[in-house]
Amino acid sequence: MKDHYEKISTIGILLLPLLFVLRGGYLQEVTGYVYLFLIQGYVAWFLFFKSGQPFFGYSVTMAIGAYGTIVLNVMFGWPVLGAMFISAAFAPVVSVILFLATIRAKGFYVSMTSFLLAILFPRLINALQDITGGRSGLYFSGITEFIGYRPLYIIVIVWTVVVAIIFLWLMGTKTGKILTLISENDRLTQAVGINTFKYKMLAYTIAGFISGLGGALYVNYTGFISSIDIEVFTTLYIFFIPLIGGSSLFFGPILGALFVILIPELLVPVERYFRIFFGLIFILVIVLLPEGLAPNVQKLLKRIRKNKE
Amino acid sequence: MGGILSLPVLGVAVIYGITGIPNFAIGVIGVFGGFVTWYFLSYNMGLAIAIGVVVCFIIGWIVQRVLLTPISEMGGDATLFFIITIAVGFVFEGLLRAIFPRPNISLELPRIGTISFAGFSVEGFKIIALLFAIGTLIIIRLMEEHTEMGKSWQATSQNLKLAKLIGIKTTQVFSIASGLGCALACIGAIFWGSLYNLQLSSGWDLGFLGFIVAVVGGIGNIWGGLISALIMGMVMSFSGYLLGGEWQSVILYCIVILVLIIAPKGILGSERSL
Repeated sequence: MKDHYEKISTIGILLLPLLFVLRGGYLQEVTGYVYLFLIQGYVAWFLFFKSGQPFFGYSVTMAIGAYGTIVLNVMFGWPVLGAMFISAAFAPVVSVILFLATIRAKGFYVSMTSFLLAILFPRLINALQDITGGRSGLYFSGITEFIGYRPLYIIVIVWTVVVAIIFLWLMGTKTGKILTLISENDRLTQAVGINTFKYKMLAYTIAGFISGLGGALYVNYTGFISSIDIEVFTTLYIFFIPLIGGSSLFFGPILGALFVILIPELLVPVERYFRIFFGLIFILVIVLLPEGLAPNVQKLLKRIRKNKE
Repeated sequence: MGGILSLPVLGVAVIYGITGIPNFAIGVIGVFGGFVTWYFLSYNMGLAIAIGVVVCFIIGWIVQRVLLTPISEMGGDATLFFIITIAVGFVFEGLLRAIFPRPNISLELPRIGTISFAGFSVEGFKIIALLFAIGTLIIIRLMEEHTEMGKSWQATSQNLKLAKLIGIKTTQVFSIASGLGCALACIGAIFWGSLYNLQLSSGWDLGFLGFIVAVVGGIGNIWGGLISALIMGMVMSFSGYLLGGEWQSVILYCIVILVLIIAPKGILGSERSL
């Protein structure tokens, strides 16, 4: 029952920004941006923390979705939606190939391989600057040309909620339970006769597709992408979302996304010292709150409720 | 290129070989030392280099003692260290931005020109960097064989529990290894800064390059690291020459990913596994 309450309240919280639709302006713009990263954060939550797959290539799968959409739409004249879905479908190809290639390796080597891919990809984009625009980037009007900015904002919010519901539902199914088992003890899961390879492949495919589609949505929303947007730090920020927010609770990534995206916004007046504060806050949260923010916020709320009673 | 790369690679190898901790902040700390050296360069060159190197040693020592060793004792895994050391890197990159007014510096050290050999000409500084790395490596090996400190390094890297049981102050060993690694990265950054230039973000390039080249050599294996630095340096130079600067790092990272996939323990293997 408690679990049910947490899920419903999380979905409710996620839908709250729809109230800003009529207001527009900066708040709406930033909220959309936070949600686009929250999609990626939920992908990391699902693949790394819930399925135990040491993957760090989130910025790559996201970038494939984004660049693929522009290339297919602008250069090959495909309709935007078709371009978005085809490029999103291509993103898991990369994550699955990486999984298959590193199948013999263990833990941190797999992390390192995908992390290196995240370092390599923006350099590849720079090297292919005639097509990709490199550091100067590419502008893209995409969906906004047809439906305008506000409906796109609603799509971003709704799609984030759908992604959250998909992962929530998935983790409650037999597949989700087996993925949890794999993350707890891969060998044991295999020993009891479960085909872990099949489930891992499925996890990489789902995560890659949702990340790719998130990337396609990102470039429609921001209207621009360059190699700087998909630098290796993007993958780290995405990974920080469930890590800082707390992966044990479903609303953890929401707190993490607010932390990772909003803290830099709040630190704009002290931009010169931004990285010092960001790094220090980050170290403090990891060392002092290893479970992340969410469980501690939950404890705090409980204590406040008790004191009131 | 391989000569300069060999120093941060050696730094990574020393830290990982002894502490078992992958430290991704090493490049940023090294570049911080490079900027410190630049700041004092107008007073006295030798003194400026010494100050930069000592500052880096102290930073490496403190980071290990205050942050990494306690986390290691609490059972932190490689992924956690990866994340924590990246955050440490953020702090030092931020300090660079806050303290130093210029985003881009060049260390004006006396140049020794180019050395021609078998039809190839190489910048003398790169040869000195390589000789320095080889010299450091030999000193480390000799220390391991003949000094108490070196033996305690070896014992700690081979069996931490046993080393603790026989009374080796492993915390101190870890701190010295981390300080030494950061000092080597600083020397690498000084060479880098005098040949090219140092930017506020150069530390990440130096650190990531140092780390991946060390991984290719067999992380923790210092001979492997040195050989890998030379090979990777040549790969970078040739790919840059043949395909242009933008493809240089693309080719390098592709090769590293392939090596990781085919031989996860590197070309010479590693006693420790990640």
